[in-house]
Amino acid sequence: MTSFFTGKVSFAIKLVVVLLVSAVLLTLTQSAFAQKEYFIAGFLAITIFLLILTYLSKISIPLKFFLPGILLLVAFVLSPILYTVTMSTYNYKTGNIVSQGEAIEQVKNRGFESDANGTSFDIKIGRYEMQEAILVSDTINKAYFISTVNNRIPLNAADLTINEYGVAESAPNFETLSDADMAKADELYSLKRFKYQDEYFIALEGFEVGVVSRQVLEFDEAKDQFKNVITGDIYVNNGRGNYAIAGSPDKYLEPGWRAPIWFENYTKLFTDKRLRGPLVSVFIWTVTFATLSVLTTFALGLILALALNKPIRGRRFYRSILILPYAMPSIMSILIWGGMFNTEFGAINNLLGTQIAWFQSALFAKFAIILVNLWLGFPYFYLISSGALQAIPSELLEAAAIDGANPRQIFRRITMPLLLQILSPLLIASFAFNFNNFNLIYLLTGGGPRAELDGELAGATDILISFTYKIAFGNSIQDLGLASAISLVIFVLVASISMYGLRKSKVLESFE
Amino acid sequence: MNLWLRNNAWRHALVIFVCLFSLFPLYLVVISSFNSTGSLRLDSFIPREFSFANYKMLFTDPTIPYMTWVKNSLIIAGATAVLSVTIGSASAFAFSRLYFKGRKTGIQLLLLVQMFPAILAISAVYVIMERVYTFAPSIGLGTQAGLLLIYLGGAMGVNIWLLKGFVDSIPKELDEAAKIDGASAVQTYWLIFMPLAAPVLAVVALLSFIGTFNEFILARLFLVDMEARTVAVGLQQFIGGQYSENWGPFAAGSIIASVPIVAIFLSLQKYIVNGLTAGSVKG
Repeated sequence: MTSFFTGKVSFAIKLVVVLLVSAVLLTLTQSAFAQKEYFIAGFLAITIFLLILTYLSKISIPLKFFLPGILLLVAFVLSPILYTVTMSTYNYKTGNIVSQGEAIEQVKNRGFESDANGTSFDIKIGRYEMQEAILVSDTINKAYFISTVNNRIPLNAADLTINEYGVAESAPNFETLSDADMAKADELYSLKRFKYQDEYFIALEGFEVGVVSRQVLEFDEAKDQFKNVITGDIYVNNGRGNYAIAGSPDKYLEPGWRAPIWFENYTKLFTDKRLRGPLVSVFIWTVTFATLSVLTTFALGLILALALNKPIRGRRFYRSILILPYAMPSIMSILIWGGMFNTEFGAINNLLGTQIAWFQSALFAKFAIILVNLWLGFPYFYLISSGALQAIPSELLEAAAIDGANPRQIFRRITMPLLLQILSPLLIASFAFNFNNFNLIYLLTGGGPRAELDGELAGATDILISFTYKIAFGNSIQDLGLASAISLVIFVLVASISMYGLRKSKVLESFE
Repeated sequence: MNLWLRNNAWRHALVIFVCLFSLFPLYLVVISSFNSTGSLRLDSFIPREFSFANYKMLFTDPTIPYMTWVKNSLIIAGATAVLSVTIGSASAFAFSRLYFKGRKTGIQLLLLVQMFPAILAISAVYVIMERVYTFAPSIGLGTQAGLLLIYLGGAMGVNIWLLKGFVDSIPKELDEAAKIDGASAVQTYWLIFMPLAAPVLAVVALLSFIGTFNEFILARLFLVDMEARTVAVGLQQFIGGQYSENWGPFAAGSIIASVPIVAIFLSLQKYIVNGLTAGSVKG
């Protein structure tokens, strides 16, 4: 058995495994590098290096044990955290998603205007001398030509097949596209500029109309600005991810790019009135919700633990039923409760004989959330309170009884303080968990009710994390920069709460 | 009689009341699953109808790939559980037993990292995986492999932390004795630590499994294809999305998906509760 760990066979197996993994990672590194994802490529390269160094040499035994775990942590936890920190300092939202280079390219592509008369022609797309080309019919002047990116070839109407509207259907040497080519046509044709005359070119509007246009926005690389050649407007880099007219920041070119704006996402939380109001009310509800959840679940759990802290008949049976809500996958339970609160078809109104629209009113929705969370959470506190009750030395209680304390006094003066001491780290952990209890809010009320038409950003039952999710992945504007900033603020809050809890449980002191 | 009333009757009354509270939604799901009208309405406490139509629909309707969802969930959650415990226990062993430079800093960093709620970095994860997709479509956004990797990374912090706590509780004399007998660290790990830790590893794996099975939001963001979804995402779509409030099949689907989890939980409750109190709150 021992030779298995040191023998030549095991080394050979190890060699093969390490090399195979490295080979897979190497292919990934190459493709990442080819896509210019240098950070990812760099990480993968370092990973390969570390794997080979660790497992094929005797450099460090501890490293052999924790390398895979640490690599996964770095790749999927630590780097997203660092990336969140980076994103939070960027203007990174709908309209400012791409890099600066891509943004310039797109502004150029969009920066043309049709000529003064709005001249347009009927066209057919196809190929001429192996190049993408259009067959243009000037139906008013009865003129026909083929146009590629670099050339314009005049045609004689007699050589063409012309339909009843005067549009040329086909021409010699002009190949129309096959179905397979049509599928890719959008990519190949939509951005091309086909030759017309002087500074004018033909841009496609769909696949059947070409508009005579000319470039209006010109990029000056040295000055890092766009110039509108007709109006003379200058769009300068405003340092926040857009080219805008100096002095009128609302006139900017679309799209912008993701640009560093340092602490603006953070200061916005306090200065932007549209954001500050909802943020304050969401924060208050988050704290209220987390506090009420902990208090109600703990209270019910503790009462049950006290009631069953005596060998009464059926205790085991009761226990199994009481922990059922906890054993059930919580996603399913939340969805079921959601259905039960349905106004017309739900069992709750049915049972109470009411017609309450639970999720349309802020107060009822909040009540429903607390009730559902009570159902989900009380078994946990029942279980740990029973455990904690048993952990209290019976000598203490007996001594108090001998000294003449009545049961109520014993509970208030001895049991309860001891319980709180044992359970406080778990109460704090539960608070921290509920602070970010996204699934409950998202699946039960979706954060609503929310007066969307009045432009409300947050719903009445949104907690910080569900609000952040709306900002990052919402329907209208997706602001990843702002969402990241809020996420980090939440992390600081939650981490301080958890640290406080840990200090209470004295975990930190046990480090050697 | 009077004494019994004072001492025990309130206990029974209270506990029975709470039992009814915990059973009510579950009872409702069970009867809805056998009811073909498709709502969560309670017309009478005793079911009037007993039909298997909802169950049949899950297995036969070609537009509902329910079995595929269950399979996806089992594979993803199973792989996450097994791999994260295998990898995590090795790391935990190193942090607990082996001495190296920066160990203390490492542990403190781990403590901080495992506190970070994964959901906070969700936009970063999304953007990163979107980029990964551009060069490796098989593990990027929208793939189960990518989701698995994220779950693995996310489970690592908590699992290493939980397992480290357990390894700390194994008497040091055992591996010191092994060392004196000439065992290397690798041998100590496999021959001494692993057999001792097996039950705990099983519990941590189980907790991971349940946690992953319950994970919703990453799965929802990641798995767009109908065929790639997990059971949680699929069933949610049932009542939220295109099937609009179709509670009958939803009820049947949640029962099938929940029964094994509930059964495992109840049979292993003692161990699970110990594991829970040692670490975090159920997610």
